[in-house]
Amino acid sequence: MNSQVDVERAQDLDRRIRAYEELESRADWPGALSAGDFIALTLLTLVMVAGAYFLGGHP
Amino acid sequence: MSQSREQEFRLSAERGDTPLLPSERVWGFWGFAYANSALAVATWVFLIGGATALFVGPLQGISAIVIGNIIGVILAASSTCLPCGKYGVEQFTYLRSMFGINGSRLVYVLSVVVLTMGWLAVLGLMCGRALDNLETLVQHSQPDGDGWLVTAGALLAIVLAALVAMRGPDMIRRLSAVIAPSLILIMLALMYFISQRFSFAELLAMPPLQPPFADQRINFMIAVEINIAAGFSWWPYIGNLSRLCSNQRTAFWPNLVGIFGAAALGETVSLFAASTLGSSDPTAWMRLAGGVGFGVVALGFLALANLTGMVNILYTAVIGLRQLAGERLRSVRWGVLIGLFCVIPVLIVLCFPGIYDGFFIFLVWTSALNSALAGIGIADYFFLRQQRVNLRHVYATQGASPVRFCKGFNPIALLALVAGFAIYVVVFNPQTLANTSFFTFASASLPSCLLAGLVHYGLTRLLAVRLGWGGYSKGTERNIEAAGFGAKD
Repeated sequence: MNSQVDVERAQDLDRRIRAYEELESRADWPGALSAGDFIALTLLTLVMVAGAYFLGGHP
Repeated sequence: MSQSREQEFRLSAERGDTPLLPSERVWGFWGFAYANSALAVATWVFLIGGATALFVGPLQGISAIVIGNIIGVILAASSTCLPCGKYGVEQFTYLRSMFGINGSRLVYVLSVVVLTMGWLAVLGLMCGRALDNLETLVQHSQPDGDGWLVTAGALLAIVLAALVAMRGPDMIRRLSAVIAPSLILIMLALMYFISQRFSFAELLAMPPLQPPFADQRINFMIAVEINIAAGFSWWPYIGNLSRLCSNQRTAFWPNLVGIFGAAALGETVSLFAASTLGSSDPTAWMRLAGGVGFGVVALGFLALANLTGMVNILYTAVIGLRQLAGERLRSVRWGVLIGLFCVIPVLIVLCFPGIYDGFFIFLVWTSALNSALAGIGIADYFFLRQQRVNLRHVYATQGASPVRFCKGFNPIALLALVAGFAIYVVVFNPQTLANTSFFTFASASLPSCLLAGLVHYGLTRLLAVRLGWGGYSKGTERNIEAAGFGAKD
């Protein structure tokens, strides 16, 4: 049922998934968002929303 | 494996059939920031800034633009860019893990196909209005509203977009490269003309164009809601862009430069133009702002930019539709598929030309869907899967995968989607603008996002884990299988 191309395609998919499984097994994932990123993002959002509201949006 | 076969599989990964490896991704921080900004600075920023001016003056308008866009962009990017940027997986393939294989197809139709059809009609009508204003400028006549020239121009734009999309994207990719800088030049020129007539203090003190309510808090929150909707409107697209970025951090932060920062600047210029020139219609500003010469050039560029945007979204939507719909649709000829896709936008132009002037209503309706989708995505990725997605489950055939759920649909995620959509309409009806007092301090998108996420999380913990749906781990413990190890099914 499976042609040579299908077999090779499945092998390619498996190779790609395995690459991510190996990354996942490491203690650190290169370039992943850290707790510091999430804290910075939360602070940035709060400052932008509160700042914009009090400087101009307060109806 | 031969080199040509490797090349073929790499192309296949680029198209979204398989995950892109980190080494295959093309964008660093600034590359994605530029692409993201070019996407953001399109004719839709004119429409969103103009719509904001209907409800609030420039001072409150800038505030609404900042608040709405930052909330919408962060929630949309958190639910799409983080998983897609981490695993290099195509967005709607990734969605199988929460909606099921058929459920993700349904979400594609609802969020991309419907959205694209609406945008095609709106941008087509903008082309028609640009032609009508050009005629007004040249012949010194009065603009014709939704007259025959506008309709004919809109239909012509849709037909041209379809013809170009049928021929492939090469020409339009080249055009796209010059459109964003041209629109920035038009915005700078608009700001120059406005600053010649009004001081900054006068600008900020301008009144809103058509505030529908006496209560300023409601008008302000509608303006915020329009901009949250603008931020959320990127939900169907940014996941697939972020998978091209080198890592997760690069896939996330540039969104704050492009679809937040650049879009907010463009919308602010448009807000000033609308407030000072007395119209929310961008084609009218080009006619009124800087005389005949500027008007002709700006309207010509506006029409071209619209056409380019139409071809881009049409091409992308039909490619995705073919990818997801299976063999039956793949066997339909490309040209026929494009032509069929354009039938509904043509009908919208003919039967509902008011969609252009009431553009924000269409935009806000899409937010009722996108906010719920973002809520479900955040609950699933962060709280249920704890940022670990099993790619073997996602790419397994339907019969063999835990993400088959119930006949390919996850009823829990779909129920959460309905709940989020319903609460949105109860809190704020986009069609009539009817709202509850809760809306004036909480918006409608945030309750929708929160409720959809809570329903998805609660019912998944209660039912899906027990039924073995979705490969979710039990409790909060990290399940080795959910992380992908040893799951060779």
